[in-house]
Amino acid sequence: MRSGETFDDKFIQVRLPTLTRLFKAGGPMSLLKSILVFFCLFAGLTGQAFAQADAESLRNLVNELAKGKYAETEQQIEALVATGNPAAAPVLKALGVGNLYFRKSDNAVFIARKSGKTFVLTDPLTLEPTGEAGKREIKKIKVNNKLRRVVRAALGSLTLQAPDPEVRRSAASAIFKAKDPDSIPALNVAIAAETDDGVLKVMEQARAAAVLNSDLDASDKLAAVATLSEMGNRDALSLLIGLQSTAEGDLRDAAVSAAAKIEKSIAAWDTAQNVWYGLSLGSVLLLAAIGLAITFGVMGVINMAHGEMVMIGAYTTFVVQELIRTSAPGLFEYSLLIALPLAFLTSGVIGIGIERGVIRWLYGRPLETLLATWGISLILQQAVRSLFGPTNREVGNPDWMSGAFELGQMTITYNRMWIIVFALVVFAALMLVLKKTPFGLYTRAVTQNRRMAASMGIRTPWIDALTFGLGSGIAGVAGVALSQIDNVSPNLGQGYIIDSFMVVVFGGVGNLWGTLVGAMTLGVVNKFLEPYAGAVLGKIFVLVFIILFIQKRPRGLFALKGRAVEA
Amino acid sequence: MMSSFLFRAMDARAGIFLAILGAAIILVPASNLLVPENSPFHVPTYAVTLMGKYLTYALLALAVDLVWGYCGILSLGHAAFFALGGYAMGMYLMRQIGTRGVYGDPILPDFMVFLNWQDLPWYWSGFDMFWFAAVMILLVPGALAFIFGWFAFRSRVTGVYLSIITQALTYALLLAFFRNDMGFGGNNGLTDFKDILGFDIQADTTRAGLFAASGLALVVCFLICRAVTRSKLGKVLVAVRDAESRTRFLGYRVEHYKLFVWTLSAMMAGIAGALYVPQVGIINPGEFAPANSIEVVIWVAVGGRGTLVGAVLGAVLVNFAKTWFTAALPDIWLFALGGLFVVVTLFLPKGIVGTISGGWTALRQRKISSDYEKGSDEPPSTPPQSPSAPANIIHCEPVARFPGTTKPQPAE
Amino acid sequence: MARASSLLYLDGVSVSFDGFKALNELSLTIAPGEMRAIIGPNGAGKTTMMDVITGKTRPDSGDVYFDGAVDLTGEDEASIAELGIGRKFQKPTVFESHTVWDNLELALKAPREPFATLFHVIANGEKKRIESLLDLIRLGNKRHELAANLSHGQKQWLEIGMLLAQDPKLLLVDEPAAGMTDAETAETADLLKDIAKDHSVVVVEHDMAFVRSLGVKVTVLHEGSVLAEGSLDHVSADERVVEVYLGR
Repeated sequence: MRSGETFDDKFIQVRLPTLTRLFKAGGPMSLLKSILVFFCLFAGLTGQAFAQADAESLRNLVNELAKGKYAETEQQIEALVATGNPAAAPVLKALGVGNLYFRKSDNAVFIARKSGKTFVLTDPLTLEPTGEAGKREIKKIKVNNKLRRVVRAALGSLTLQAPDPEVRRSAASAIFKAKDPDSIPALNVAIAAETDDGVLKVMEQARAAAVLNSDLDASDKLAAVATLSEMGNRDALSLLIGLQSTAEGDLRDAAVSAAAKIEKSIAAWDTAQNVWYGLSLGSVLLLAAIGLAITFGVMGVINMAHGEMVMIGAYTTFVVQELIRTSAPGLFEYSLLIALPLAFLTSGVIGIGIERGVIRWLYGRPLETLLATWGISLILQQAVRSLFGPTNREVGNPDWMSGAFELGQMTITYNRMWIIVFALVVFAALMLVLKKTPFGLYTRAVTQNRRMAASMGIRTPWIDALTFGLGSGIAGVAGVALSQIDNVSPNLGQGYIIDSFMVVVFGGVGNLWGTLVGAMTLGVVNKFLEPYAGAVLGKIFVLVFIILFIQKRPRGLFALKGRAVEA
Repeated sequence: MMSSFLFRAMDARAGIFLAILGAAIILVPASNLLVPENSPFHVPTYAVTLMGKYLTYALLALAVDLVWGYCGILSLGHAAFFALGGYAMGMYLMRQIGTRGVYGDPILPDFMVFLNWQDLPWYWSGFDMFWFAAVMILLVPGALAFIFGWFAFRSRVTGVYLSIITQALTYALLLAFFRNDMGFGGNNGLTDFKDILGFDIQADTTRAGLFAASGLALVVCFLICRAVTRSKLGKVLVAVRDAESRTRFLGYRVEHYKLFVWTLSAMMAGIAGALYVPQVGIINPGEFAPANSIEVVIWVAVGGRGTLVGAVLGAVLVNFAKTWFTAALPDIWLFALGGLFVVVTLFLPKGIVGTISGGWTALRQRKISSDYEKGSDEPPSTPPQSPSAPANIIHCEPVARFPGTTKPQPAE
Repeated sequence: MARASSLLYLDGVSVSFDGFKALNELSLTIAPGEMRAIIGPNGAGKTTMMDVITGKTRPDSGDVYFDGAVDLTGEDEASIAELGIGRKFQKPTVFESHTVWDNLELALKAPREPFATLFHVIANGEKKRIESLLDLIRLGNKRHELAANLSHGQKQWLEIGMLLAQDPKLLLVDEPAAGMTDAETAETADLLKDIAKDHSVVVVEHDMAFVRSLGVKVTVLHEGSVLAEGSLDHVSADERVVEVYLGR
């Protein structure tokens, strides 16, 4: 089915420009188009046969090149272009550089390259090697300067009218870079025929660039400036700045104002891009810190092994992917979705184990808890190192996590985008659990007044263990996401622990919204400092800023006030 | 006044400890330099250096114990002061290399030549003189601690928050010293030292001398800590540890006390770092790693926080274990260290010395109490010494009422 | 009473936490040498008032003057203590890992700066003062006991002893009789009356029998401001007091 579809597409796009070219008219275009579409749909049904016929006639046209003089060659080239078949492009390319030969015996045309005393022959259409020929057996098809120009224009229109929109787009981009005035006619034709809005835009921009480089009159150039001004990126800006030094009068004014406008919009986009990077970093911080916001913020437990819970989540992802690779490769795209609940459970269960085994004996002694959990973090790191080795393990990105797309002047990578989305979803889910479920109610009750909660029949030890498990499990889930952008090694967690504490303390202990705002603020601030200070110094500034901030507001951005604090 | 201050530092237990330390300072270098190599009493040079390193660790532990054990400030950033002292010494040693470096530049250290620097940065000037470096070893960590403490203690950042920002402090310094532009050798740090005060740094005699210097520094700092903790100021520190706001309402300006002991402690850590660097032959940003600071805390916890002897003992014991483990069973070491953190906090909160002396004190207390029972409530000629036990007091009935029971008493 | 002749002068003091008004335009004056009892239901602002006087909490508005001239709102806890205001907490807070003797020595009026304490050597006069305090609070035979090992009542007394060792002009005593037996309560009342002979004392207490036994002017707080003032008989005749205090 898939191949059939592309075939239809190809067919439509090949036919469309060649036919319209014959009319060279702008009037009844829409009517014409609808007729054509109808015709093409119909033709698509018999596409296979049609294509074969097409190939044969193309071969005949190519072989025609062996005959005649320059003037005839020109007509033959135009006939080739008229087929609109991209297979003709290599033939024309070879003709342009003088590599096209014909065999004297049967007038068959080949691309030939000299190799020692003989020539290596290549079929011009299939591009397959077809043996060798002696110097005397073949003859070069001659071209002069005029013909070369014709070939170049023909090539432009062939690629500009290729069936694949990506080919057309890159052809147009190449012209934009070359700014070749000779390609203006080909562009005109292609623009008139173009159906894809995106490609059309690129073509118009290429045309504008070529027009500015040509000797067309000022009104055309003014229109070109307008097009570039709309384009609004750095390439357009450099063209306009170049124009400022050469143009005069109105054109120069137009170029100056357009350049100024673009500079402004680029600055705005740069800011937006920085904010995006900042939010992306912020979401990583949020993911790393959000589990800590539960264990430290809500329960008041200093869990230095928090980073290791993240690390275990990342290794869970690794194990899941390994299993999928060996037993069910088809599931790879879903590996992260499978890893999420497993990571939550693994880290959560280990967290509950730590709470029951160690932390519960240390409630009310935060500094001792800090030391004991640090010890646990060393043990967990070494355990993972013994099991999986000390080096980085490969965790793959599924297709939907790789690649990027453009939004205006910004580049947005899919993995960063999904991580931002994921961080917010985790945050929202956690909020829901804490605010809307009985478990959340019990948790809040226990943390606010343990004795009262116990006397109301809440099993406080259970709630402690489960809350700690929840915080740890969320750290594990964060590990799944972080495995996509960071090295999965036993030291993974250590890189996040200080940052996580900074975020929670900065945002205000015991306040999840504070953690969200804190993470995003620190992320954005960090990214805005980077261009001026560099990544490392920027980070140092942020650390110093937080140290100073804690002096000013020891309880963070969103501090609880009043009597509750003193208790 | 001064003499009574110093006199206070001495008692029987401190005497025994200092005697052992003094004997080590004399015997270890002597058996390295004087005893022939094939004798069973010969101490090889590598062992002298290793023990010298332990002594500098012990000094660092002492510094941490002073703030944590007595004043309740859990510093997770003391490695920063240690490393700063080390860098100050390292800068002196770098300047002593002179033309013997790879590039043979008389002024610039190799790494600066490598980075194409033309001039020595201003902050390197003066480090060619030992007295200047010695002053900086005290001044730089002291000044950093003073500034940091002045802000932190004035705004009453306490407990876990303080611990976390001390950790952030050392982390920030770690990142900063990794940068080549800082002018401290970046990732590689300072190394390839040639001589110290004109002596070849590799020579056996220099090694022995550095060992003795480390021991001596430990003795002096031990005496200072002892004098401080047994003064009225020491009692105020313990009061701050146990009930900070109560101490304030008594009229003590808690932040000044904290600042005093914090700065003093940082300077001691700086001395430790300065003695450490010539013995290991390198200082790099890795010394700033937050993990190092936390490891120091566990040395103190193992030995017994709030007991100075315990801090020294803990540092030596844990580091001896580390040396042994990393040679014999390298994979097990982190399990062992991690387990140590957990076991000590759960089962041995007073550490080795605290637990042992706790038992001893209980016996002594019983004797005193039974004396009271007999009616001899003569006030003691000297005021009783302040207890320096950890804050987590085991609540038990007053022993005086039940002279027959021997419930454990808090340390000392 | 005029500010100049007062020992403690609060005028229009307000404190709020997150919208909750703990003190609402509170005005109160204590004369030199006076003993005053302050009563009021839970949440009336008694502890917050103590916090404001001792510098733990800053008032949002209003004046707090000590000795007629010193503005307490600009001072911190330590300097207020040095000015001569001592405070005993509701829950007895003594230094548990210090001995009774050391607790008193720390409280004793002496220079409070680090270097002064570092080189401090206990003088004979100080020893005598501690001895007499030990007698007064009846802990002479517990001098070497750790404060942690004292009973609740003994801790209360130790804390009062520490207050006296500070030799303050004004003592703020928060619920001194809480958790005490009747006999201990009576003894505490006697002790306070004794102290009041040469100190100004503000006592916050719930126990009516205790307040009655003090026999001093009573101030009733309610919702952060003064509801009534006068002798105990006078205020307990006041209908508003009866209403808020006894909840009728």
